[in-house]
Amino acid sequence: MRNGNLAQDNLYHHLVQTVYQQEPFEFVGVALQETTSWRKIRWRFAAGNTNQRFRKIVLRSGIGIAGLVIRTGEPFIENDLAHHHYAGDTYQPITLVEHLTSAVAVPIFDADQLIIGVLLAGYRHHQPVTVHSGHVLQKYLQHCQ
Amino acid sequence: MLEAVSWVEKNFNEAPDAIFIFRDDQLLISNHAAHALQADYGLRPAYIIKLMQNVVKQRQSQTDDCFNCTVLDQAKTVIPFNLPVKGGQPLAFSLVYTDLDHEQHVYSLTLKSNDLLQRMDQLAQQRKLVQYVNRAHENERKRLSQDLHDSIAQGVYSSIMGIRHLETAAAKADTAAFDHQTKLIENQLYATLRDIKGMALDIRPAVLDSFGLSAALKALAKRLEENSGIGITVLTHDTDQLKLSEDVQTVLYRIAQEAITNAIKHAQANEINLLLVAHEHEISLEIIDDGTGFDVNQHVSFNGHSLGLLNMNERVKSLHGTFQIKSTVGSGTRVTATFPVA
Repeated sequence: MRNGNLAQDNLYHHLVQTVYQQEPFEFVGVALQETTSWRKIRWRFAAGNTNQRFRKIVLRSGIGIAGLVIRTGEPFIENDLAHHHYAGDTYQPITLVEHLTSAVAVPIFDADQLIIGVLLAGYRHHQPVTVHSGHVLQKYLQHCQ
Repeated sequence: MLEAVSWVEKNFNEAPDAIFIFRDDQLLISNHAAHALQADYGLRPAYIIKLMQNVVKQRQSQTDDCFNCTVLDQAKTVIPFNLPVKGGQPLAFSLVYTDLDHEQHVYSLTLKSNDLLQRMDQLAQQRKLVQYVNRAHENERKRLSQDLHDSIAQGVYSSIMGIRHLETAAAKADTAAFDHQTKLIENQLYATLRDIKGMALDIRPAVLDSFGLSAALKALAKRLEENSGIGITVLTHDTDQLKLSEDVQTVLYRIAQEAITNAIKHAQANEINLLLVAHEHEISLEIIDDGTGFDVNQHVSFNGHSLGLLNMNERVKSLHGTFQIKSTVGSGTRVTATFPVA
């Protein structure tokens, strides 16, 4: 496990709590990429989670929703996760363990504009996410940084 | 035209089913298979005529519940028929009645061998399995090619682009941009390295060759746990001293892989346990999940998706092992494979 600094941990902890409380999303999570050689990506902070299984998930660049966002640097918006074209071959573990039906995810950048993680928010009951949902998440990110 | 008649005649004579054509009680023609049955097994045409006549009469009987039943009227009369063989298993046939000329009371009786029919079924199953294996093979290649193209080629390409930016930054003597770009490229190359190692592991786990089955199963469990967030526990007992053939190791590994993947993808399991236990002259592998379970009977025959199970079964059988799936809806699944060990 990465030894993240406490200030940063606090920041993301508050971020997920704030988004969860102020927006209608049913699940909010932050995944961070480790700086060790393997660059593993783990879900570190969550609000609205139904269990602790998200902590076991380890992604890599390009795999899973967080991996995809980290690889591309582009926001991810999907309203039909069960039939997303990555659903069959590639795992979307966060979708499975939290039973998400739709999700939006945006990259988190550090001061050098390098991607260090992902902020994801989603629903379990087919409520739609839009490009606007992505902007909302980005607004919260800017506020907290 | 005459030629055509001789072809039809040849076809009739050499058909694998015994065919008799009668007018009333008189045998008119019969083919080679029919001759053989009469000569070798003492089949008497008079007996099958009586058998057929009784069944037809019963069908037209007023007292039968099925009288006037449209389904029965349309169906050909088929009678199960056993021919006793001296000192052996009786031969099982289906006796099929076909009306040829109603006015002249001409009809045929065909004895279809049930063994032959069963054999045909088996052949059809075999063929479907071969098709499945071929398709699985092709899908595997497709996935590999996609992986190579999407993740590895893409990663290398990004790195090349990064180096170009690096050159620009160097030309401008912009150290901040240079450092930033170096970091980016490093990240990119690490990600690509992971992808390559992951692919290598997917294709064939090197651990299996160098450290044996238990180590390979533990590595597999860890990787799938990380990929899915589902807890996977591996317990092994007395397996260190085992000398398993490479084939058995591979099959056990693939069964574990398929069973765990199924549990993750379809069963919504919370927990998966894997037990590898060595007994005297036997090794057994069990994969137990607490997922939704399924009706095994519906999935052992062909229905498109579940050939994976059948394929596992075939692989185990070919190495003299036993393979079993126990599952009921709502109470998880237990997959067991056992092999004899010298």
